[in-house]
Amino acid sequence: MTSDIGIWVAAICTLAMFSFLWKENSIFRSFQHIYVGIAAGYGMVRQWQAINNMAITPLLTKGVTTWIVPIILGVLLFARFFKSIAYLSRWSVAFLIGIGGALSIKILETEFIRQAQATFVPMNSFNNIVLVLGTVAGLCYFYFTIKPSTALLGVAKLGRYVLMISFGAGFGNAVMGRVSLLISRMQFLFGQWIYLIKM
Amino acid sequence: MDLLVKLGNIDRRVIYILLILATLVPLVRPIGLPFSVSEATKKFYAAVEQVPAGETILMAIDYSVGGGPDIHPQGQAVFRHAMARGLKVVFVAFVTEGTEFANQIIAEGEKMAGKTYGVDFVNLGYVPGSEVAISAFAQDVLKVYPKDVRGNVTADLPIMQGIATVADFVLVTEFATGIPGPSEWIKQVGTRYNVPLAIGVVTVMGPQTTPYYQAGQLVGLLSGLKSAAEYEVAMKAPGLATAAMDAQSIDHIVIVLFIILGNIAYFAGKGKKGR
Repeated sequence: MTSDIGIWVAAICTLAMFSFLWKENSIFRSFQHIYVGIAAGYGMVRQWQAINNMAITPLLTKGVTTWIVPIILGVLLFARFFKSIAYLSRWSVAFLIGIGGALSIKILETEFIRQAQATFVPMNSFNNIVLVLGTVAGLCYFYFTIKPSTALLGVAKLGRYVLMISFGAGFGNAVMGRVSLLISRMQFLFGQWIYLIKM
Repeated sequence: MDLLVKLGNIDRRVIYILLILATLVPLVRPIGLPFSVSEATKKFYAAVEQVPAGETILMAIDYSVGGGPDIHPQGQAVFRHAMARGLKVVFVAFVTEGTEFANQIIAEGEKMAGKTYGVDFVNLGYVPGSEVAISAFAQDVLKVYPKDVRGNVTADLPIMQGIATVADFVLVTEFATGIPGPSEWIKQVGTRYNVPLAIGVVTVMGPQTTPYYQAGQLVGLLSGLKSAAEYEVAMKAPGLATAAMDAQSIDHIVIVLFIILGNIAYFAGKGKKGR
């Protein structure tokens, strides 16, 4: 068993969180609150360090005035806490939405054009046939413009099965991911805390 | 029949205990179950392998604590590979915890013979702003990161000489548990700069990221701990991820058995109600 205090603290935290598996209890809730508090505090410190390094220090030490406007807009976000000047925060939010919207315009290329192009494949292999038919059937399932004919309903039904298979694959991956997290904690507890597993 | 119905109502704690045992036993006594290396992992490995020695690659560590155990071994494996090949690695993060994970990886690098911080690898740290910050970083690396996490002036570091925009990296890799993730990096880096992009994600994000890989928007894709194990095998350097694969396989068998058992119990119960 290790004598490293950090590993002991982490192990106790892990066991406290695992205690939820038995039943909801006060130890679990306490450690959950501690985790939320630490995460919030850590996030604030990191955000402040980044803003200080990137904007405030260059402005104060090197006179990089281009940071004045972003800093003012950032400070204005806090205006929402004061009722009389709360409207000022909307300017910053409007700016953020404008920038976000402009940057996201590329989504047309990454998520639509390139993805559509990727389905324009010759149907000369089993994988390509599944890809093309699956995409067409999936799209038909979401086609609501006209009253569907029997043929369209049939393809849409196939589309529903395609969607269900993809949900199944997604759920399978979710389970696999959670198992990975469990394995990692077990490797930590029985490898670094109690030396039962060879690391 | 009654036994089947009772099994359908089994206490969830029994399932937890069985799962913990199914995880622990193979970790203590490894079986060495075989597993194959996927094409997406092979391509990621090849992308790192093709970078000429001495060139610089980017590793964006955009994962949080919650998904870290599933994806951190990927970052470690890719870094080891890069170091073994004599590449230089610049770490950045657009998720707060990314800085700490990058520090953990770098700590391993500092123990390697002949490898020096600031020369072979550097951690530039975290910058807030998600997708907007990625876009700004891609345009002007030094403006977004005037200093690294240790307070060094970024422009003075030997590893940063010749790096002005993201296009100056020979390969860009990103590891994500959410947003920012593949979509943001493809939008702001992949489509704007002529630089190959390889991405690692947590297992849950695997299916939703695969279309980007299939469309040729990514040169390689890693998905969860399994891909990390595959990468270790490709490197011929088995590590913790490889050791975890026995437990993963056994756990999956247990889960599948419970799903089958649950369904049998459900239909048995339904039949009994019908009578």
